[in-house]
Amino acid sequence: MSQHPPMKRRLTAAIAILGALALGPANAESRSVDTAYGAVTIDGQPQRAVTLYEGALDPALAVGANAVGAVITRGGNDVAEYIKPRAGDIAIVGAPAETNIEAVIAARPDIILAPAQTNQQQYQLLSRIAPVVVSNVPMFQADSWEQETRLFGRALGREEAAENAIEDVKARIAEVAALVERTVPEDQRDATLVRWMPQGPLVMAEGLFSATLLQAVGFEVTDNGLVSDGRPHSQPLSLENLARMDQNWVFLATLNADGQQALEAARQTPAFSRLKASGQNQVVAVNGQLWSSASGPLAAKAILDDIEAALATLAP
Amino acid sequence: MNAPLTAPANPRNVVASRSLFLPLVAAGLFLLLVIIGSLIYGAGPVTPRKALAALAGTGSDEAWFVIRELRLPRTLIGLATGLALGIAGALLQAMTRNPLAEPGLLGVSAGAGFAVAVAILFGASTATLTTLIAQVGALAGCSLVIAATRVQGLGNDPVRLVLAGATLSGLLLALTSMLMLMDQRAADEIRFWITGSVAGKSLATFQATLPSLIIALTLVVVVARPLAAMALGERAAVGLGHHPGRIRFLITVTVALLVGAATALAGPLIFVGLVVPFIARAFSGPDIRKTLWLCLPIGPAVVLAADVASRLMAAPAEMPLGVVTALIGAPVLLAIVRAGRMPSL
Amino acid sequence: MHRHALTMPDSRTLVANAVLLLLVAAAVIISLSMGTVQIAPAEVIRALIGTTEDPTAAFVINELRLSRVVAGMLSGAALALAGCLMQTLARNRLATPGIIGIDNAATAFAVASVVGTGIAIAPSAMALVGAATATALAFGLAGANGTRGYRFIVAGLGIGAIAGAVTQVMLSQVAIDDANAAYPWTVGSLNARSGASVQVLALGLAASCLVTVAIVRALNTLQFSDPVAIALGTRLRRTRVVGLGLSVLLTGLAVSVCGPVGLVALLAPELARTVCRPGRIPLTAAALAGAAFMVIADLLGRTLFSPLEIPVGIITAIVGSPYLLWILLRPSTRSLT
Repeated sequence: MSQHPPMKRRLTAAIAILGALALGPANAESRSVDTAYGAVTIDGQPQRAVTLYEGALDPALAVGANAVGAVITRGGNDVAEYIKPRAGDIAIVGAPAETNIEAVIAARPDIILAPAQTNQQQYQLLSRIAPVVVSNVPMFQADSWEQETRLFGRALGREEAAENAIEDVKARIAEVAALVERTVPEDQRDATLVRWMPQGPLVMAEGLFSATLLQAVGFEVTDNGLVSDGRPHSQPLSLENLARMDQNWVFLATLNADGQQALEAARQTPAFSRLKASGQNQVVAVNGQLWSSASGPLAAKAILDDIEAALATLAP
Repeated sequence: MNAPLTAPANPRNVVASRSLFLPLVAAGLFLLLVIIGSLIYGAGPVTPRKALAALAGTGSDEAWFVIRELRLPRTLIGLATGLALGIAGALLQAMTRNPLAEPGLLGVSAGAGFAVAVAILFGASTATLTTLIAQVGALAGCSLVIAATRVQGLGNDPVRLVLAGATLSGLLLALTSMLMLMDQRAADEIRFWITGSVAGKSLATFQATLPSLIIALTLVVVVARPLAAMALGERAAVGLGHHPGRIRFLITVTVALLVGAATALAGPLIFVGLVVPFIARAFSGPDIRKTLWLCLPIGPAVVLAADVASRLMAAPAEMPLGVVTALIGAPVLLAIVRAGRMPSL
Repeated sequence: MHRHALTMPDSRTLVANAVLLLLVAAAVIISLSMGTVQIAPAEVIRALIGTTEDPTAAFVINELRLSRVVAGMLSGAALALAGCLMQTLARNRLATPGIIGIDNAATAFAVASVVGTGIAIAPSAMALVGAATATALAFGLAGANGTRGYRFIVAGLGIGAIAGAVTQVMLSQVAIDDANAAYPWTVGSLNARSGASVQVLALGLAASCLVTVAIVRALNTLQFSDPVAIALGTRLRRTRVVGLGLSVLLTGLAVSVCGPVGLVALLAPELARTVCRPGRIPLTAAALAGAAFMVIADLLGRTLFSPLEIPVGIITAIVGSPYLLWILLRPSTRSLT
């Protein structure tokens, strides 16, 4: 039972030490964590966490835990770029749709953090390897990331660090919100979040993590009723319906290496160049790995940085 | 079926004989209807009524914009794709004397698609994609098919040829899936590209394929007569002063140009090259030149009708066009099989 | 014809079967000892016979790899047997479940139940319904000609194309999580097999083998013309119905485990025919070859790009297609029937 988190992760060290000090020896006792598959008992502070989705990797690193395995991000061959510097040479244990259980074993975890959609059969296999914490947090709510950070923070024996990470993000949200208040007129804060595909746009739901952050800093995000119920993520849209997303701000997520290139491709589409946001130069190209599938305190900070940078161009 | 009774194919027949007049006019009218349909129906808020008002000059700016900038380009691209695939199918079927020889089924489209997938993997983005890559792939696929029909015994066995084509398509599809697994980022673009669609394509792509379409159609005019002669048997064709080897070569190039252009425009669309000549032959009889004339209006009409259906089936989103053509085309394949005997060519 | 000549195995077939059995055993042992977790061969054997001290080795070998290898063997054998039966009944080497669209139809029905179109029947049952539907359609459309000639196969091609398009339509209409859940069904993978489906397949395969043994003599007479077969005492209609029923059952159950892994049903009987004595239907050899082929293909898919997996269906397509092309394209005077 170590009191010292790995020092090589300099960025997280401060938070982690705080957490470790605050928790003190109480850590060593076993505690019960509520998961989607009932209460799971975990002893002390796990040292080797395998995370089976991005929304678990991010909080795990944010609370200063040692993550030894992760799945690739959608549309990539590795963990998402924004988290790569923190994750280091983390072992890849599969893709979001298919976990390679042997790779999980090879990573020798003492805890496994899994997404809500983990099925019974997988859960039972994984439970044989290490305690499995399957998220029981309802997805696509404004505070989903907070709840998941708390859940995984508790599972990792770093509850204090989790609270600190959440507070950090909230402070940052307040900063950016103040910036929005100063720079964007109140009647021009409507925004929409879109992924640009070669054939046209994919409108992302209002409940998506990055969309809830935009809301939190003062933008009014709408999917214009285009994402139907029961389809939480996104909906491919006919170009003819592009006019329905005519907001003052358009955040354009792309998986291409060069977001600017995708923006140019979009601009060449006549239907796109007619949009209000395009005319006002308020189309912001953002990284799709970060904006469309990440979630957690670290992703929150990276997304808030993006928003701040976009607003910087407006500064008088 | 009201196939007009035609005299046995005689290469010296006048191309547009009187019996062809009525079907040609009917098909032309139908095409006109479908074009209007393609301009007024969409997945968006511009309803047929608004669109008609805009066409009459009394509609809103919004409606006029949707028609001019979105529906007109995809209508043009649908026209070109249907034209190219219909004629390519008719040529390939006449040359192989196999009513099932369809560029999609025989793996010509898959060849073009695979070439484009490889190009995307090596960094070409679909926006900068040239028609040339697709045409090179189509040429490779087409040459394989022609080589296969020259294999002894296979040329007379329509099913074996089609199965070989289906197998080739399956192989190329599996290889494409492998490429997609190895590079997830390219996968995103390839996945959207290989389903086949005429939505969101710019007029620039259309202009890029125009020269090769014109060259291909000129070649069709050149080879139509010798091809009709070859229907009488190679010896008869030689007797009439034609060179079967040269004709085959020209047709291979023509089909590759057409299929490559169509694939660059709309992605791999299967069954179009089967459906169009099938309908055309029902009216024209076995004469390839009459069939080709009828393919001119029928090909675009079929693709545009499928595209209109693709917009309406899943509004406000759209169904991939390739899925719709498969749903229309497969029953036609079954109809061909169901017909008493394989219509010989 | 002597009665025993149609039932008793000859020495060449016995040898061939023994060799194929060894091949299956070798493929299974290699499969069991390879993976992301390194385990020494000696430890593999200790784990199998239950004397290992290492709980990780026991878990990896007995729970992860063994269940996967068993699923691969069973589905490979079932597909190969189904293919061999259908080829015999149709008197056409190309008439296999994958080619006449049964795989695709079974997949379409299974996907329908996975993505929740309101049809709440287990995927296994739905796959069976799909397989039966496609077969009935192919026969109906082929008309009076029955399974002979090209019409049966081309009808199957069309049915397969429609089923594939319908699957795509369903996948494009549902939420992304449902589409992800249905993904293994569309490519053919052994990773996401469910334990229950494997058990149903095991039972179905065992029952099918028993029934096949009962009709094997009749099946062998089908290689002659109908009058000859009748003269040899075969009840044609009953044999055809039973054989086809088995083929549909095996295909549906196998697809419910591994998805549409088509070419196995064609390649395994081909291989079996080359190693066994000509003039006999190599049912045992085909099943063994199918099991070996599937296990080896899955092994390749697991290890080539480890830790990411290539679905087994992609491997069989890449390995199998060139061979099928060769069969189709080689200038040969031998007929395909």
